[in-house]
Amino acid sequence: MMKQHMSFALAAAAGIAMQVATPVHAAEMGAVDEPIKLAINEWTGQHVTTHVAGEMLKAAGYKVEYVTAGMMNQFQALADGDIHATLEIWSSNVSDEYAKKIGEGTVVELGDLGLDAKEGIAYPAHVADLCPGLPAWEALKDCAPVFAIAETLPMGRLVDYPADWGTPGADRMTGLALPFKAVPAGSEGALIAELRASTERKSPLLITFWQPHWAMSAYDVKFVDLPVGNEDCFNDPAWGPNPDAVNDCDFAPSRIFKASWSGFEEKWPAAFEILSNYQLSVEAQQPMMGAVDVDGGAVEEVVAAWMSENEGDWRPVVDMATK
Amino acid sequence: MTTRSDPVAIFRHQTPGAQAALLTVLVGALCLALEPVAPWLGAWPTAWTLPATDWVGTVTEAVLQAIKPVARWFSRLLSYPMNGADWLLNITPWPIVLGVTTAVGWLLGGVPMALLGFLGLSFVLASGYWSESMNTLALVAVSVPVALVVGGAIGILANEVPRIKTAVDAVLDVMQTVPTFAYLTPLLLLFGFGPVVGLIASAIYAAPPMARNVILGLERVDPDIKEAAIMSGGTRWQQLFQVELPSASTQIMVGVNQSLMAALSMVIIAAVIGGFDDIGWEVLLTMRKAQFGQSLLAGLVIVVFAVVIDRMSGAMATERKKHDTRVFYGLLLVSVAVTLLFWARLPNPAEFTALAPVADHVDQALTTFTVANGATLDAIKNGAMFYGLLPLRIGLDQAVLPFTWGFAWTAGMSAALFAAGAGLCLVLAWRGRLTSGLMVMIGVGVLETGITNLPWPFVLTGAGALAWVAGGRRLALTVLVLLSTILVSGLWDRALLSLYLSGASVFACTVVGGATGVLCAVSPLAWRVVRPICDMLQTIPLFVFLIPVLMFFQIGEFSAFLAICAYAIVPMIRYTRHGLVSTPPDLIEAATATGATPWQIMRDVRTPYAAPTILLGLNQTILYGFAMLVIAALIGTTGLGQSIYLALGQADVGLGLSAGAAMAILALIADRIVQGFAEERRQALGL
Repeated sequence: MMKQHMSFALAAAAGIAMQVATPVHAAEMGAVDEPIKLAINEWTGQHVTTHVAGEMLKAAGYKVEYVTAGMMNQFQALADGDIHATLEIWSSNVSDEYAKKIGEGTVVELGDLGLDAKEGIAYPAHVADLCPGLPAWEALKDCAPVFAIAETLPMGRLVDYPADWGTPGADRMTGLALPFKAVPAGSEGALIAELRASTERKSPLLITFWQPHWAMSAYDVKFVDLPVGNEDCFNDPAWGPNPDAVNDCDFAPSRIFKASWSGFEEKWPAAFEILSNYQLSVEAQQPMMGAVDVDGGAVEEVVAAWMSENEGDWRPVVDMATK
Repeated sequence: MTTRSDPVAIFRHQTPGAQAALLTVLVGALCLALEPVAPWLGAWPTAWTLPATDWVGTVTEAVLQAIKPVARWFSRLLSYPMNGADWLLNITPWPIVLGVTTAVGWLLGGVPMALLGFLGLSFVLASGYWSESMNTLALVAVSVPVALVVGGAIGILANEVPRIKTAVDAVLDVMQTVPTFAYLTPLLLLFGFGPVVGLIASAIYAAPPMARNVILGLERVDPDIKEAAIMSGGTRWQQLFQVELPSASTQIMVGVNQSLMAALSMVIIAAVIGGFDDIGWEVLLTMRKAQFGQSLLAGLVIVVFAVVIDRMSGAMATERKKHDTRVFYGLLLVSVAVTLLFWARLPNPAEFTALAPVADHVDQALTTFTVANGATLDAIKNGAMFYGLLPLRIGLDQAVLPFTWGFAWTAGMSAALFAAGAGLCLVLAWRGRLTSGLMVMIGVGVLETGITNLPWPFVLTGAGALAWVAGGRRLALTVLVLLSTILVSGLWDRALLSLYLSGASVFACTVVGGATGVLCAVSPLAWRVVRPICDMLQTIPLFVFLIPVLMFFQIGEFSAFLAICAYAIVPMIRYTRHGLVSTPPDLIEAATATGATPWQIMRDVRTPYAAPTILLGLNQTILYGFAMLVIAALIGTTGLGQSIYLALGQADVGLGLSAGAAMAILALIADRIVQGFAEERRQALGL
């Protein structure tokens, strides 16, 4: 699952920078009259990612339609060609349906998006006052009672991902032998509500979280420094600070990638090339996310403003496929 | 000849209730005694479970692949009216939609109804969610007719072929109790992607009320009318469609109304799948950001639709006086005139933000409240957890610890508790109330062990015995078979967790809801306050309330408990009140004549008379309690609800269906047992 596909990641730089040394021949445009349907999932970052890609396709001369689709349920639609591409899949919580569809050959991967994601054990900044020693992970050994609640006593409470995203937080607690009980959150809304309540009440909170996410800055979320790991950490108990367990290190890096319907390349060859080469960095995405979620802007307007200011970043990708 | 010393004879001599309770106590005691030597009595060994979920998955997938082409064709067929309705509602200028609703309101119920339609849609307009709302309306506009046709057909079929009625009843129960999330994956596989899947899901959920009311309506057609139809020599079809269905029309309209409400409550599920930009999607997006004010606003749009549609279709179900059609046409004309006059200057409804500051304000108020009352809220939660939920879940012997109750639970305390229970049991038995005494014993045992740690033979015996008392041997057998399927499928632990959470909630709802119902029956003022709250709780997507509950009490069982209660308490209030106020006046008169005080009338006349209705309310509360488990899983509970989400994430058709089926089984068992008791009461009262 965590296999790295380096081919496209290598080409990722700041912003959208996709200059391949010698431009290959331009691809066929294909069925320009039929709209390309792009999936809009449940979170703002994905909306930004998708709208930037959609505008690039429009600039190339395609028709684009944005279709709302549940993140977990979109892959059947992708396999059937009801949706043509989805542009921000997180390896940390992709449903197993995706692997099935890739196996069938009805969905194909379009490579990494170039978003540099980070997952980790996190806390709102004020918690550092309640547990001095943070962000070092060792501080959590003695702080556990601070985080304890009725259901977890005498252990501390870690709010983990919803159960269907996996249990990375619980794995860390076991791996590092920290006296914390991981409680699954149930949904992203529940995670955010916890962050919000903790920030407002200045109450203790330890949570499994990720970036880019608008809440990172809105609630001033900090990551705990965990031991930097490598492949051995996940396989060899002897590795790391805890000699008796695996997972005694930081999270394995998440991949964020794109995928399309299997018939995409044949139907819209140039668009396929554009989406395959499309890259978006955290530095580009995060301010746009803030402009939408914190300042209340509309995704279309925020993206349009960014596109006109950063034409040098995305235009070459379009030109390379079409000219 | 039997002697007093023969235990079998003594056993036979008791009432069925006492026999059942005695058997349960014996099995419980046996399990308790043998558990140290036979641990398999406590927890069902994993080695004994069958890979049933895998089998279900394999079989279902094979079946699905086989019927997929037909389903896809059907789905395409449905997409035409769906897209048509969507197009029509979105292209129509908003003053016309507003005008038509107001005019229809006038026709159905005069000034009050017209005003309701006008104000309701004005609210939708002011919320800025106009186009999203029209998309939602399009979905309901197509799914309800589908539900009505399917439900009507099922109802007529059950009426024409009485042999299959029991089976039809079971199918309708399954349609209503298996949570939609459980079959979402197969549904997507079958029908493809998009609003049509949401439409089908909501039609599946909305058809049973229609079917039930059609069956009931046809059953209640006056035999004289039926005979007259036969005498006049019509074919069976003519009898049905020209005589029986029209005379059942009032009851059928109740079904239409209930179908509409059910379809609206499923809007949020359609949004989870996605495919179009409807109001449910807005609720999901704001919920994901924990924006309470904004999600409440979006949720209220659905409530407004529900109230307008409910009152208007409700008016259709009752006899009504004619209202002047000239006013109707006049209103239509005005709306067209306004549209034409301001055509160029008609503001885009998406730009209305009149209510945005209100939403922000509500959100801010939530923050202020949480900050100000943090300590109190924590105290409430800890109290409820330490002294209520935890002992119920894991038993006193594990829940009582120095940092919860201030001392550790010892074996001596267990012994003392059991001794006290046994003492009370003996006293009760001595006074001739053996059943109550034995129930006390069972209660003590459950409290000591905790619901999730109960030995499975004890649960099986207890449920079977209860079913036997309520509905005889056949029900007992059904219950045992159904429970055993959960046991061997490996979902037993999760089922017990779910049972504990819904059990605790149902108990709380019964006490609090029953008391509120009594209050509302006594005081019309109280009912005027409580009724709109009940309406809102039943139609607003409950996702909305998860945010404040989470902010107050954090992720965990207490939050889930409250969320379930918020939904499941409504039928208890409604039915209790309804039962109490509908006591026949002559009964009350007779009681008043004998000089009974109002309190005595309430206790000795109204309450016994209302018992069957109240039991029906309890039954609905139980079903709602189980239905909410799936939503409660969004705040991190670990029962069957979580399994359903896990299955969704893993695209595991077998696990999803099995967990959904287990949930339905628990709900159905509770339902049938309560109905059994209700039937018994009804017969005792001669109803």
